[in-house]
Amino acid sequence: MNNIALGQYVDGKSIIHKLDPRTKLLSLMLLMIAVFLIPKPLNNSFGRTASFIMLGGFAVIILMIVLFTKISLIKYLNSLKQLAFLFIFTFIIQLLTPQGDNKLLLDLNLNLSIVGILIIIAWIVLFILLRKFIPLKLFVFLGLTCLSIYLLTYDLGFSFGSFKLKLYEDGLYNGSFFFTRIFLVIMLSTVLTLTTKPTDLTSAIEWYLHPLTYLKINVSIFAMIISLALRFIPTLFNETQKILKAQSSRGVDFKEGTLKEQISQIISLLIPMLVISFKRAADLADAMEARGYIPGAPRTKLNIMKFGLSDLFSFIITLIIFATIIIIKVI
Amino acid sequence: MKVRFNNVSFAYDEESVVLKNFNLTINDGEMVAILGHNGSGKSTIAKIMMGLLEVEKGEIYLNDKVLNMDTIEECRNHMSIIFQNPDNQFVGVTVKDDIAFGLENKQLPREEILNRIQKYLRLVSMEDFIDHAPEELSGGQKQRVAIAGALAMESELMIFDESTSMLDPKGTKEVNEMIKKIKNENNKTIIVITHNLEEASYADRIVVLNSGEVVTDGTPKEVFKKIEVLEASGLKTMESVSIIHNLKNKEYKNKKEIEEALWELTFNE
Ligand SMILES: Nc1ncnc2c1ncn2[C@@H]1O[C@H](COP(=O)(O)OP(=O)(O)O)[C@@H](O)[C@H]1O
Ligand SMILES: [Mg+2]
Repeated sequence: MNNIALGQYVDGKSIIHKLDPRTKLLSLMLLMIAVFLIPKPLNNSFGRTASFIMLGGFAVIILMIVLFTKISLIKYLNSLKQLAFLFIFTFIIQLLTPQGDNKLLLDLNLNLSIVGILIIIAWIVLFILLRKFIPLKLFVFLGLTCLSIYLLTYDLGFSFGSFKLKLYEDGLYNGSFFFTRIFLVIMLSTVLTLTTKPTDLTSAIEWYLHPLTYLKINVSIFAMIISLALRFIPTLFNETQKILKAQSSRGVDFKEGTLKEQISQIISLLIPMLVISFKRAADLADAMEARGYIPGAPRTKLNIMKFGLSDLFSFIITLIIFATIIIIKVI
Repeated sequence: MKVRFNNVSFAYDEESVVLKNFNLTINDGEMVAILGHNGSGKSTIAKIMMGLLEVEKGEIYLNDKVLNMDTIEECRNHMSIIFQNPDNQFVGVTVKDDIAFGLENKQLPREEILNRIQKYLRLVSMEDFIDHAPEELSGGQKQRVAIAGALAMESELMIFDESTSMLDPKGTKEVNEMIKKIKNENNKTIIVITHNLEEASYADRIVVLNSGEVVTDGTPKEVFKKIEVLEASGLKTMESVSIIHNLKNKEYKNKKEIEEALWELTFNE
C-alpha cells in the first residue's frame, strides 16, 4: 500500500497543509513549469554558471517548502526511490553523448582482455545471485561498474582488442542539470500529494474545470470519476498482490522464464483482474444508484474551500518567481 | 413501509427466468428474512425493490404507491440497501466521504450532513475511524460504515442482501449485532436476505425461496419445523433444529436415554 503514490497523504497541521488545495495545485504547477523554463546550460548566451545559480535558487526555495511541510525527509526520498534508476541511466547517457564543444572529461583506453572480461562476468553473476542480500543495490552496482571500467584500463592478459571510452564535460553539466531539474519537479509534486487529501485535490480540480460547464460539459461527472479512481486504485493494487501471491504459491514466477512464459503468466494475472473489475464496476453502479446518485445532478458539496490571506500571500510569491523566470527567459 | 409484489415476472435473458408470477407482501415495521440457496433469486428481488432492475410483468407497490420510472427517485428516498461485498459499495475515499455520499445526493445542507455523520458513526461504534480509508478497515468495519450510511439516509426500509456472507466470524457477529440493535431501537421495516438459517432466525417472519418461488412462509418456529421443505430447498438446517427433528422420530423412556441420544446425534452424524 505504501509504495503507490496516490494514497500518500500524511496528516499534519503545517502552513502548507492548511493552504487551499486550489492555491497549492496552481502554485506548485507554476513552480514546476518555472523549473522547466530554466535555460539549459548549453546553447545560451547566458552561460553555464547562471543556469546553475538559478537551479540552485529553486533548490533552496523548494527545500524551504519541504521544510515548511514538517514531514520527514524520508517520506520524500521514498517517492524518489522508484525513479532513481531512470535518473542515473539518463545521467550516464548524457555523459556518453558528444555535445557542445566536445571537451573531454575523461578519455580512457579500455582493453578487451579475456581475463578482465571473465572477472567482470564473475562479478555480475555474483551480484545477481546475491542481489537479495545486498543493501543499497543501486550504489553497489554503480561502484562495481566503475571498478570494472578501471580494471579494463589494464591489460590482464589475452587481449583481443581495445576501445576508447569518452566522457564529455558538457555531458557532465547537462546530465547534472537534467538530473537536478527532474529531482526538483518530483519534490514539488510530492509536496502536493503528501500534504493534500485526495478529496481536496479532486475538489480543486473540479473548481478549475468549472469553466468547461459553459461548453455544456458536465464537470461533476469528471470529478466523480477522479474520486472513484482514487478510491479504487489502492483496492486494485491490493487485489493484484493477492492474485500474485496465489499464483506464485502455485509455482508461477513472474520474473523468470522465457518471454512466452512471462506473457502467459501476465495473462493469468490480467484475466482474473478483469473479471473482478467488471463485477466490481457493476456492483458499484448498483450501490451508487441505490444511494440516489444521478450522474450530473446537483449535489451538496461537503468539502468547502476557503481562499485566505496565506493563500493570497503564497500565490503572490509564486507569481513573482514565475514572472522572474519568464523575464529572464525572454531577455 | 409496506412492500407488495403483485404477479411479478423477471428474467435476465430468455433462458434464465428468475421470477414468474411472484407474489409477496411485507408489512410495515416487520423484520422479514428471505431465505434461499445461492441463485434462488434473492438478490434479484432486492434489486427490483430498489428499482435497479425493471420488471417485465406485474407491479411493485411501496406503501400502496406503484414503483415505476417516475416514482423511483422518490421511492429510493425511503429505502436503503446494504450489499454483500464490503469493498464494492464503499464509494468514498474515506469513511466520512462514504457516509456523506447518499446525503450529498439528497442535497441536504452541509451542517445536517456533518451532524448525521457524527450521529450514525457513533451508533455503529466507528466514530474513531472517521478519516480512515477503506484499506485501513476490516470487512466487518466496512459493512458497519455501509450500515451507518444507510441509517444516515433515515429511510423506513432497510434491506441487507447477504451482508455478512463475505465476512469472517468476528465481522459477521458485529454486523448481526448491529441488525438486532436496529430492529430493537427503531420501527423500521427490515429485510434480511440470507442463506444462513441462524441469521434468519432473528426475524419475525421467514420467507423461504426456491427457484424464484416462495415455498414456505411463517414464523421462524413454523418454518424450521418443515425440515423436508428446507432440505428440498437446498438449505442446511441448524444443528439444534436437526437434533430436535431426529429426536422426534424415536421413543425415549427417560432423561438419561434422551441425553445419550443427544450425544450420539451431535457426534455421529
Ligand atoms: N446479471 C445477471 N445476468 C444474468 N443472469 C443473472 C444475473 N444475475 C443473476 N443471474 C441469475 O439469476 C439467478 C438468480 O440470481 P440471484 O438473484 O443473484 O440469486 P441469489 O441472490 O439468491 O444468490 C441465478 O440463476 C443467476 O445465475
Ligand atoms: Mg445474492
